[in-house]
Order: sequence, then structure tokens, then C-alpha cells
Amino acid sequence: MQIVRWCVLVIVLLASPALAQAPQEPTREAAIESAQAEKSQNLHPYKPGKMEALFNRAEDVLVNGVPRWHPFFDNAYYGGGFTLGVGYAHHVSPYSMVDVRGSYTVRGYKLFEAEYTSPRLFHRRGSLSVLGGWREATQAAFYGVGMDSTLEDRTNFDFQQPYASGTLTFWPTRRLFMLRGGLELSRWSQNSGEGDFPSVDEVYTPATLPGLGTRTTYVHSQGTVGFDWRTSPGYSRRGGFYGITVHDYNDPDEKFGFRQVDYEVIQHFPILREAWVISLRGYAQTSYTKDGQQIPFFLLPYVGSGSTLRGFTSHRFRDQNRIVAQAEWRIMVNRFIDTAFFYDAGKVTARRADLDFSGLDSDYGFGVRFHGPFDTPLRVDIARSSEGTRLVMAAHAMF
Amino acid sequence: MSTHTRLITRLLLVIAVPAIFTGVVSTATPHFYPDDPIAREPESQDASKTQPYFRGSLFEMATNLFITADYKPSGLRAQNINTIDEVPDSNWFTNRIGSTSVRTDDLVRGPNVGIPPDPSHWTLTREKTAGAHPGFTARDAKGETWFLEFDPTYFPEGATGAVAVATKIFWALGYNQVESFLTTFDPARVDFDPNATLRRPSGARTRFTKDDMNSILERVARRPDGTYRVIAGRQLSGRILGGFQYDGTRPDDPNDVVPHEHRRELRALHVFGAWTNLTDLKASNTLDTLVTENGRTVVKHYLQDVGSTFGMCNDLYEWDLSYENFYQTDTTLRRLFSFGFALSPWQTIPYVEYPSIGKFEGDRFDPKEWRPQTPTTAYLELRDDDAFWAARRIAAFTDEMIRAAVHAGQYSDPAAEKYLADVLIKRRDKVASTYLTAVNPVVSPRLDAAGRLTFENAAFASRVANGAPTYRASWFQFDNATGQTQPMGETQGTTTTIDAPRSLPAASGTFVAVDIAVDIDAYPSWRRPVRAYFRRSGEQWTLVGLERLPEKLADAPDTTRRERSDR
Repeated sequence: MQIVRWCVLVIVLLASPALAQAPQEPTREAAIESAQAEKSQNLHPYKPGKMEALFNRAEDVLVNGVPRWHPFFDNAYYGGGFTLGVGYAHHVSPYSMVDVRGSYTVRGYKLFEAEYTSPRLFHRRGSLSVLGGWREATQAAFYGVGMDSTLEDRTNFDFQQPYASGTLTFWPTRRLFMLRGGLELSRWSQNSGEGDFPSVDEVYTPATLPGLGTRTTYVHSQGTVGFDWRTSPGYSRRGGFYGITVHDYNDPDEKFGFRQVDYEVIQHFPILREAWVISLRGYAQTSYTKDGQQIPFFLLPYVGSGSTLRGFTSHRFRDQNRIVAQAEWRIMVNRFIDTAFFYDAGKVTARRADLDFSGLDSDYGFGVRFHGPFDTPLRVDIARSSEGTRLVMAAHAMF
Repeated sequence: MSTHTRLITRLLLVIAVPAIFTGVVSTATPHFYPDDPIAREPESQDASKTQPYFRGSLFEMATNLFITADYKPSGLRAQNINTIDEVPDSNWFTNRIGSTSVRTDDLVRGPNVGIPPDPSHWTLTREKTAGAHPGFTARDAKGETWFLEFDPTYFPEGATGAVAVATKIFWALGYNQVESFLTTFDPARVDFDPNATLRRPSGARTRFTKDDMNSILERVARRPDGTYRVIAGRQLSGRILGGFQYDGTRPDDPNDVVPHEHRRELRALHVFGAWTNLTDLKASNTLDTLVTENGRTVVKHYLQDVGSTFGMCNDLYEWDLSYENFYQTDTTLRRLFSFGFALSPWQTIPYVEYPSIGKFEGDRFDPKEWRPQTPTTAYLELRDDDAFWAARRIAAFTDEMIRAAVHAGQYSDPAAEKYLADVLIKRRDKVASTYLTAVNPVVSPRLDAAGRLTFENAAFASRVANGAPTYRASWFQFDNATGQTQPMGETQGTTTTIDAPRSLPAASGTFVAVDIAVDIDAYPSWRRPVRAYFRRSGEQWTLVGLERLPEKLADAPDTTRRERSDR
């Protein structure tokens, strides 16, 4: 038996070199495994590049809404010119946040404010905004009262306004029907204007222009009833908004108290699968003075601005009442860009009875809008009117 | 690893990988290995060190829309196919319909091998983390975790039906699918896991509440009895690694050696996507998991979410889906300068819309014009031979199979069910007639011991073409060591059986190559021959190679330097 074992061992030993030297036939599987083995020597976890990391951060901010710094382009008042601003938003609860922000314009307009927003009240039927801040416009325009003024009539005025307000919006059915109520406490301090035009107090007196040089405290209350079935107020291609807002400006000194009613109708008509949208807006504002009181000139309804008559300078016309009609033919260029031809018409009137479609000033133009599904972060319109051509840049939708 | 080293590694992979799978050009190794054609792609290395990574959707969308969209296809042949132009089984793909016998019963069962959920009670554990439509992550009455997806109010039965049907179709096509069952969610039989949380806008995770559940249920379609139809996706086993990319390879997976844009089954999603209207091809709709199989830890790749199929999308108004990417420069400029008067096809298609189906039609459908939301590199790398391979699989779905798969969607409206099946059949036929006729359709060549060559014409077999062609065969002796050929003669016939020349070698281990061209006026592209390679083993000839198109298409730009292999 031992001999047999030795024989086997000898045979194996003799055979082994021969086996080892026999060329092993290559196989496809071995070739692939060889590539895998080679790669296994050089493994590393995936590392996002700088651009990817930047996008991921942006996505985190945009989608997940973590506390963030953000640009802020709202200025203190129409006509401030190019605006730079920044804000910092911080959640104070899972949904509620405080946003502290400020802006400064090339004309020296200043705005600082803080807003607390709570978007999920009453089982997602309501939202609350509490806002406090201060603003100053150093050279706001005033061309006189009525539609007969000329560009040469321009004067400038300054105002400063600290303000604090609370606004509660309630959707009883969570959609379509909307109620909103708000209360604001503010103090307007009107001063001499700066800039290239005469100050308003060089042309007018308190007797000829109500509110000139005034320091007025207002308790401003308002209530809105509306039906809103747009996809979003910030961007919509269909649906509409129909609403009425009643304002009461109460002056404790009983000099400048008044009431106003806003009527607003917005309707979007999509055409050919939203390739085009005809968007219409009608807006009227009527004012009601209180006994023995007047409306200060700087709170008179106006037309002329990036949201009313775009071809006219800001606050070009002021009077007790106003009416604005706007039509846009919006063209879907792609999912992120729309262009639009537009036409605006409007006027201000001293009497509510004169709020009709006669004697309207108008403009027309073309614009480009960069938008997402719910917001329009950049709108650029070029508008032409009898008083020239104006470029309008805004960080929100037209309507 | 330095940039220089990484570049060299990439170049080596680009040069080496195609040679590994489909043929080695070096004279030191044979053209065909003894084990060719392989039936399964080996995964030989332990991948347990693979790390999770979840690519951001914003970056992926921006990259695909503004960089990938300009990608010039390499024109290279798919690199994971075997030598007979087929995709071997792998952890990406399993040959099913068109390769093996898949019965209607198999199709209807699809990926569902386990028991369905017990919906008598649900315990919500967190929000749904994938997919566009509302849902939850929840445990059923038996304690198993499921991902529940509801139907939005505007697509009642639509989102759930699409998942139910599409998972079966894509399973049959060969992809790893999540087990998905149509079931019921009754809000009266729900509780909340004490540890259930929801990510809030603040970034904090706080307890999942009934109000959170209600906020989701308000947006979904409710049945008259107050319950909700849901599709429940079973939680995958293994460690979740995030989605796979449609280009490059995972740098931490040793077995992932073929750049994904050169994987045929990923290129083929261009065709399968067109058929089913799978418009959302983003990485977050895919999933890699780390699993242990046969004692080795490997990465398994899933098409996790195929619910954006048929007419399902994010709202009722995404009219341009499947006709345009989210952004396209050409259509943008056309509409910009024409003020929208240069109409796009999607603006005039007369859709028959069922709420459970959405915008999905077959009459105006053109497979070559179909577009996903964002293009992927694999989508752009599709060649005609990839499309042909995919179209054969689609053509293998019989009418009966399609109707059975659609029936599994449990649509309550029989007209909607019929419509969906009818459209899938129409689109199947259009895909087949487009891609089975685009290249020489000779398939399954066999050379018998008597020297008789037989094959099939896939276009004729699928009845998307007809005629009386002449089949011409050019024969060569083939030197497997050098790759050189020696002409042996030509034969021809009018049927799919042609005799070989009498000089056919008989020695075991010899190789012959035969170029089979199809001469028919209606299809000039069929004159480009398919080359088949046979190896003599004993008395038999075995098919070891098949080339439908050249390794690199002549009209494709040279993008070798742009090839991405390992990010």
C-alpha cells in the first residue's frame, strides 16, 4: 500500500511541471474577468465635481427649502431704478419662516424689512404673513393730478415709511375660493424730493396739494374676496382670478382718511395646447373720501409703471380713481421661456362716474419672460407709448 | 488618481473593453475564444465596497439638456454584446422575450414572484422617496415594507395602471424590475409608525401626522367607497446605492467595465421607450443595489420606475412630452422667430384621451421622432443594429400578450383597456417596420453538416416587409488567429436556404465566414451583408460570430477622445 502511495506521488510530481507548462487556452470569460480584476485595483468612490456640487447645493435650496441667502430685487417704490438686494430666510418651525431682506437702488431708495410667514394654518386652509420694515424713496415722481399733465410737470418728493402689518389668507375649500384680511400700521413722512427735478414743495403748497409735507399715521385695514383658479399667481397659462378688495385708511388725526375698493379680473385663454395664451386683465380702483378728509397726493391711485401702463414712467398719472385694461398674447417658446406682445390702456379720473373706456392712454410692446412652473423670476418688457419707449425689468409675473 | 492617470485609464478601457466582449484585434489572441458566444457576462469581483451616491436631479437635467444633447455619437458597436450580436445575461439584463420562451402567463406574472401585500392594515413609515406621483412608504399588515403610489386626481387609475402594466413589459424585455402589485389603501385602516417622519421645508424631519397623510390624499383619486387604489412596490433587497448613470461606469464597482452608453440594453431604451412612451429616463428612476449572489457581493441594476409610460406625466398639460426634450434649441428658435406659428406635431395630434391612459396614440407615432424628457448618452448612442435588436424583442410581443399585460392594469373602463392595448399594438408594428427594415434583417444563421446555410428574415417573419428577394452569400475561409479571410466562392438563392460551396472545409477547428446580403429593390440597406462566422466542431458547424454592422460606423464622427469610461 505504501508503495502505491509513493508511486502516485511520483506520478503527480512528474506530471505537475508538464501541467503547469501546458498553455491554458484563453477564454472570453477570462478576458472579461481580467479587465474586472484590473479595475478592482483602482476603485474609488464617485466624487462629484465642483459644478455638480454647486447644482446639488442649488437643488437643496430650491427644492428642499433649507435656510438660505437669496437675492432680493424688490425696491422701496416704483421708479427707484436698478435694484440690488439680499435676504436671508430662516425656518423657525417646519413650515414657518422669517425672511430678513433689504435692497438699495441706484437712486438711493432703501428698503429693510422682515417677514414672518406661516403657510400651513387651519389644516392647510390658511396662511399668515406678518411684515415689519422701513423704506425710503428719495425722488418719487409726481406730475400733478389728472390726465392732462406733461412730462415737464414732473416734480420729485421723498417719503419715509416705517410699517408693520399682518395678513391672513384663508381658503375655506383649500382651492378656488379665497378670503384675505389684513391690518397695517404705518407712518408716512413726506419730505422734499431729491434728484434732477424740482422738489414737489417748490411747485405746490399744502393748500394746493393735499398731504404735502405731512406726517401721517395710518391704520390700514383691508379685506379681499376672490376666486382664483390659476395654477399659480406667479405663472399661469390657464385659469383666472376674480377679486374685490376693500381698503380703509384710517388717520387717527382725521385729516387724510379714505377708503378704496379694488376690482380685479384676470383670465387666461390657452390656445392650441397652450402654444399661445391670450391673457387679459382688468383692474379698477375707486376712492371714497371720508367726511372732511382728503387723500394725500402720494396715495392717490396711479397709472404708469411696470405693472400698469408700461410705456409710461412710474406714477405718471394720479387721481382719485383709476382703470387699467391689459391684454397679452403670450407665446410659449419652450418650457422656460415665453414671449408676449402686449397692449395696456388706462386712465385716472377725479370722478368714479368717469371710469369708462374713453380717453384711455395706451402703450404696446413686446416682452420675454423666464419662468418655472409656478414663478416668473425675470420679466423683460419693452413698451412704446406716446411718451417714448421704456424698458421694464421685473422679478415677477405681469399678471 | 491624477488627471493624467485617469485619462490613460479611460483610454485603455475604451480600447480594451470592446475587444474583450466582441473580439480581440491583437494577433496574440484569437478572434473567437473557445467559449464564444458567451451567454452570461461574468461578474468576478467582490463589489462590497461600492458606496451609495444619489445624483441630484437638477444637475442631471441640466447636464442632459445642455451638454449631453450636443453629444456626438461615437458610432461604435455596443460593447457588452457577445460575438453573435446578442446581449448576454448579466446583473443588468436577462434574456427573456425574443430569446427564450416567454409565455403569456410569464408576462402577466412579470417580476412578481413573492406574495402580494396584505392591505388590511397599513402603517405609514415615511414619505415616498421616488417618482412624481403622490405616495407613502408603508408596512402592510404582515409587516413588509412597500412603496405606495397613488393616482393623481386627473389620472384616475392612470399612474397605478401604468406601473402595473409597464413593469411586466419591461420585465419581459429583460430589465430588472421592482415587484409591483395593485392593491387598496383604506385611510380608516392606517396608523403611523412612532418613528415615522417627514422632511419639512425647514429641512427638519418631524413626526408624520394624519394631516400629512391627508395632504397627500387630497391630491389623489379616491374611489366612491372612500378607499384608494395604489400600486405597491416591494422594497428591494440589498443595500441601496442610488441610480445608475447612462454614461461612464461606476468607479467603485469592479465588475462595471463597459461604459454604460455602450451597453446595448441601455441604448435600446431609446426604442423600448418610444414604444411604451417611457419619457422619464433620468437616473433617479433607476436603482443600483448591492446584493450577494452565489457567495459574491455584486451590484444589481434596476429600472426602478417605469411609471412615466403611456400618457402618464406630471399634469394634464404636458402636451409636448415625447415630441420634444424639456429644452431643444431648434424648436426654441423656431417658435421664437415664428411667434409660435411654426407648429410642432404635438399641437395638432387628435388624441383620444382616457383619464386612465392620458395622451398616448399610435397613428401619428414615429419611433424615430420620439424624444424623452431629457436625452441620455446611451439614448444618443443607439445604432441601427441596437435598434434592430430591440425591435425584434418588441415584435415578439403577440397581440394576445399585449392585451394580457394591459389587462393586468385592472382598468375599470374596458374601452380604456382596449384603447391602450390597441395603441401598444400599433406602436409595436411601427417600431418593427421602422427598425427591422432599416438594416439587413437576416437572423439566426445556421450551417448544417451537409453544408446547407439556413437563416430567417426578421422583417418578413414579423410581416413588416414582403417581397421576393435574392439572398447572396459570399463565403470565406477564416483564420481565427490572424483574422484574415480567403474567398471560397459565392452562392445565392431566393429562399432562406442556400448551399455552401463544395470547398467548405471539414477539419475540426476550422472557421468559415459568410456574408449574407439581401437583394431587394424596396430595401437598399439590406444589400449591406450580415457576416456570420461558423466554427467546425466534429461534424457540426456552430455559429460563433455575427456582425450586422461594422465595429464603427463610417459616417460617425471620431469621438474616441470623448469617450467616457470611468468618471
